[in-house]
Amino acid sequence: MSTNDDFFDRTEFVQYFRDETEEILQRIDSDLLRLERFVGTGTIDAEIVNALFRGLHTVKGSAGMLDFKDVAEVAHKLENLFDLLRKDRMPLSETCINLLFEGRDILTDLVHAAVDNGEVPAGVPQFTARLDAFASVYESTAVAIDGKHPEPSADQLEALAPVDTAQVEAFEAEIARVLAAANAPAAGLGPAAGTVNAPAPTVAAAVTAAVQPGVAATAPVGAATAKNQTIRVDIERLDMLLNLVGELVINRTRISDIANTLARSINDQHATIDVSALAKDLAESSALLARTTNDIQESIMKVRMVPIGTVFDRFPRMVRDLAKTRQKEVTLELNGGDTDLDKTIVDEVGEPIMHLVRNCVDHGIEEPDVREANGKPRAGILQLNAYHEGNQVIVEIVDDGGGIPLDKVRARAIKQGLITETDRPSDREIMEFIFAPGFSTAEVVTDVSGRGVGMEIVKKNITRLNGVFEVDSVLGKGTKFTIKLPLTLAIIRALLVRVANELYSIPLDAVLESQRIPAGSVRTVHGREVITLRGQVVPLIRVGEFFGLGNPRHPDKVMIVIVGLQGRQVGLVVDSFQGEQEIVIKPLSDVIGAIAGISGATILGNGSISLILDVHSLVTTAHSARRSTRAQLTGVA
Amino acid sequence: MAALDDKMKTQLSGKTFQAVTFALGSEEYGVDIAQVQEINRMVTITNVPRAPQFMEGVINLRGRLIPIIDLRTRFGMDRSERTKDTRIVVTEIGSRSVGMVVDSVSEVLRIPVEQIEDAPDLVAGVDTEYIRGVGKMGDRLIIMLDLGRVISTGEKTELQKLDPAA
Repeated sequence: MSTNDDFFDRTEFVQYFRDETEEILQRIDSDLLRLERFVGTGTIDAEIVNALFRGLHTVKGSAGMLDFKDVAEVAHKLENLFDLLRKDRMPLSETCINLLFEGRDILTDLVHAAVDNGEVPAGVPQFTARLDAFASVYESTAVAIDGKHPEPSADQLEALAPVDTAQVEAFEAEIARVLAAANAPAAGLGPAAGTVNAPAPTVAAAVTAAVQPGVAATAPVGAATAKNQTIRVDIERLDMLLNLVGELVINRTRISDIANTLARSINDQHATIDVSALAKDLAESSALLARTTNDIQESIMKVRMVPIGTVFDRFPRMVRDLAKTRQKEVTLELNGGDTDLDKTIVDEVGEPIMHLVRNCVDHGIEEPDVREANGKPRAGILQLNAYHEGNQVIVEIVDDGGGIPLDKVRARAIKQGLITETDRPSDREIMEFIFAPGFSTAEVVTDVSGRGVGMEIVKKNITRLNGVFEVDSVLGKGTKFTIKLPLTLAIIRALLVRVANELYSIPLDAVLESQRIPAGSVRTVHGREVITLRGQVVPLIRVGEFFGLGNPRHPDKVMIVIVGLQGRQVGLVVDSFQGEQEIVIKPLSDVIGAIAGISGATILGNGSISLILDVHSLVTTAHSARRSTRAQLTGVA
Repeated sequence: MAALDDKMKTQLSGKTFQAVTFALGSEEYGVDIAQVQEINRMVTITNVPRAPQFMEGVINLRGRLIPIIDLRTRFGMDRSERTKDTRIVVTEIGSRSVGMVVDSVSEVLRIPVEQIEDAPDLVAGVDTEYIRGVGKMGDRLIIMLDLGRVISTGEKTELQKLDPAA
């Protein structure tokens, strides 16, 4: 890095460089994927190659300006390859594409190293050597085609670039021979030109063997990088905000006028004020204020929203690499990339979705031969769908693979001691086991998944975002993972309830209904309190008891809030209902730490604090507490 | 750091340590004024169930949720009656704000660094982990607290998970 830092403050430029380059590299990735489809067809799309060339040129220039020498160097070499491609001096071979992908990944790492002062990735000199070796073949033989040298000899080629492996040598010689044949009398040019491309796959295989280790070592997509704290905003949204703020300012003037009028009349005893007119004015201003602040609220939320496509963009590359490693064929379909989500949610949801996508390629979709034997097309279909529904965003990850083998899950659950041989859990309950810590049915622990950490973490991450995670699977047909996320992180509608003289808030989207039941209707089954609701048995949890806040039992009526949790119903017993309200979620300080059953707090209109119930963790904790101590739930406070 | 080491003392020598002093029972304590955000009268503290023992709860401070610690409970003393002198000292460490309930707040003292000594092993039953030193002002003994330690310990793993840089 440059030592001219004291000259001017680079940080802003570095940030800009990082953002710009990240975008360019992402586009390069997508373009490379599109270009890949031309491998072996003998043609290329000049548009794509040009776009790639331009992209790398920009990166090279920007990096050069900031004196990021290694970035600029690699960008330059890659740019070179594209130049050869677009000038038609090099055929698009699989080796070439793999080298380009590898180069793009290395470039990404180098950029991060430069911007975040991180570790420079290993293997860069070896890669550039390979790049040089690969390119030099075409550069020199290209010169040969131009007619400057009638025939490149094997010695000449050897002298050109350092070769690491015998295979690369063989490849060079082969290409030289073939191209020399192409130089033969024009009559032979037609068929010879054809042969230029034909050997590519067989010869490429030899080089691929040499290049392969590099391919496998590509950086994991979406690896933990410094989170991008900037956001792209549609100017229209900002303009709307400006307008609203303008209205707010006007309203402010109105209100201060009213205040002034009142003040004057108080000071001047002779002045009379038309109270009813003032009151009307104030009421109008107040209503306008309410409308304007609501609109501003909505607008700001919208400004924070980012299309989920930014997350989806990473997957085509990832699925391609993964499918190759697993030797499966996967077609990735992305739908609904323009669905908007709050930026913080988008940042967090990327990882769980990635886990699930990996899972589908790893476990869900079968090998091509197996699929064929089962009458399925050789390539598996992996669908990512995103859409709005109500005030939620739904993300579906669907595959047409083999489905989740419930019998294997059951066997594993027994092995892990979660259930016994004689237990007869329902299919839905068996499915739940895949979320148990450390659970995995893969016989072999692969490097991608199969460590049993995946599903549990996915579920945890999603519930942390106040989302819901569901799994549907049909053996032999496929699996569907559904992630439901709230549109906005911060404001939700809640049901206020009183428990032991404190007000608690229950997120309304978890609430199915509320009931007042005569105390006598509460039955006990296996030491658990339950009620019967329209033929269904609903277990009860006394919220006051759960939190150790005391246990007053009302003589005649029981107030129950029925909540839904993955298709099951649970009744939360409270003291009274206090109406519905929109609340702003505020997190509880880290000093307090995570508390089972509580997801945060909110400040009510009168300034008092209401804790927000985390329905999911409340039910889960109550459930496991019951398992370990049959008799009592002690408040831990 | 548990105490002002000699090196620090020489660096600061000739300087004074500005501390906000308050009382817990009959003992006087002091905290670095740079870490004190404000001092409030007692307000309703909303209880947070299943929270660590010393957590009194949370309060609403102009729209922010501030967790409150009862210092006496933190130091293993008995809780005291809330009187009209009871105050909440709101401190800020890094990005975290924490309020502490104290019996009364006295004043801001300038304690010359030379007069701050290492804490003897036992100071009124308070774990020396929380103490940076003991300042002597005349015949007053001010126990200087290490706020960082006061609010962490047991929860360290939880905090470190959330903020590895802490």
